[in-house]
Amino acid sequence: MSAASVRAEAKRLLALSLEGGAVSSDRVGAVLAALAKSRPAHTLRPLLRAYLANVRRELTRGEARIEHAGPLSTADADAIAAHFTKALGRPVRPVARRNDALLGGFRVRVGDDVTDLSASLRLATLAKSLS
Amino acid sequence: MTFFSALLAAEAAKAAPHAAPAAAHGAAESHGPVADIMNLFGSFGVDLPHLLVQLVNFSILAFILYRFAVKPALGQMEERNRLIEKGLADAQAATRRLAEAQQASDAKLNAASDEAAKILAEARNSAKAAVEAAKAEAQAAQTEVIAKAKAAIEADRVKMLAEVRGEVSRLVVETASKVLAENLDDATRGRLNEAAVKQLAR
Repeated sequence: MSAASVRAEAKRLLALSLEGGAVSSDRVGAVLAALAKSRPAHTLRPLLRAYLANVRRELTRGEARIEHAGPLSTADADAIAAHFTKALGRPVRPVARRNDALLGGFRVRVGDDVTDLSASLRLATLAKSLS
Repeated sequence: MTFFSALLAAEAAKAAPHAAPAAAHGAAESHGPVADIMNLFGSFGVDLPHLLVQLVNFSILAFILYRFAVKPALGQMEERNRLIEKGLADAQAATRRLAEAQQASDAKLNAASDEAAKILAEARNSAKAAVEAAKAEAQAAQTEVIAKAKAAIEADRVKMLAEVRGEVSRLVVETASKVLAENLDDATRGRLNEAAVKQLAR
């Protein structure tokens, strides 16, 4: 099985794993069960690797990874997720992590997009403008 | 006829002195203009036969002298005169050629002198131009070096200022970050987060 066909098959399996535009654990389980039944185990390794990468990437696309300094209420995290859900047109759920190095504010990463509203970024911008 | 006969008679008289008086007497006694002339010469002491013999001798001598002495001498003189004239002509030609050569030499000398003066003037002009060009080149090089030095100094100054500014900015930001990290409490950070959420919503 060539690499291109493996990538195409993994993409097809990912499409089968989505429910309402998001990865469903039930569907992933069903896909894995079907694979285990239909193909020999020693031929599944490259396909499963590609499928895992696709699932991770899709999960990342559906997460708003929020780094924040100081406390961030659940309401604020939900508000941030709602903002990106509306902006990107797909469901995004918040995953918060405290990082006091940001000094204040937060930094949000959704997929490959990064939105930084932290005080550290403003200070770095100030330093760059002064130098 | 009578002259030669008288001459012969005189010779015969010398050969036969005894018979001569008779013959001379016979001849003297003869008449005619020749006899008269001879008598006249005789009266002046001129011995005609002797004179005739001398004339003949003189003529022979003169002929011999002319033939073997005078004529070669004249020829030699003429040859010498010709050589002298040729020498004179050659000398005149040589003098003329010498004068012409002198004139040509003077002309060439003058031309060479003019050419030398011209070359000298050109050399002076070339040297002057070369000196001026060297001065201009040196001036340009000096100006270029000064300009480069000024540019390098200015670049160093700008670079130094930028480095100082960057270092000062880094120190300011670093200090501000430390101050903020030490002095910001959770309540303040929470307010900052809320403000950021409101900013994101706008």
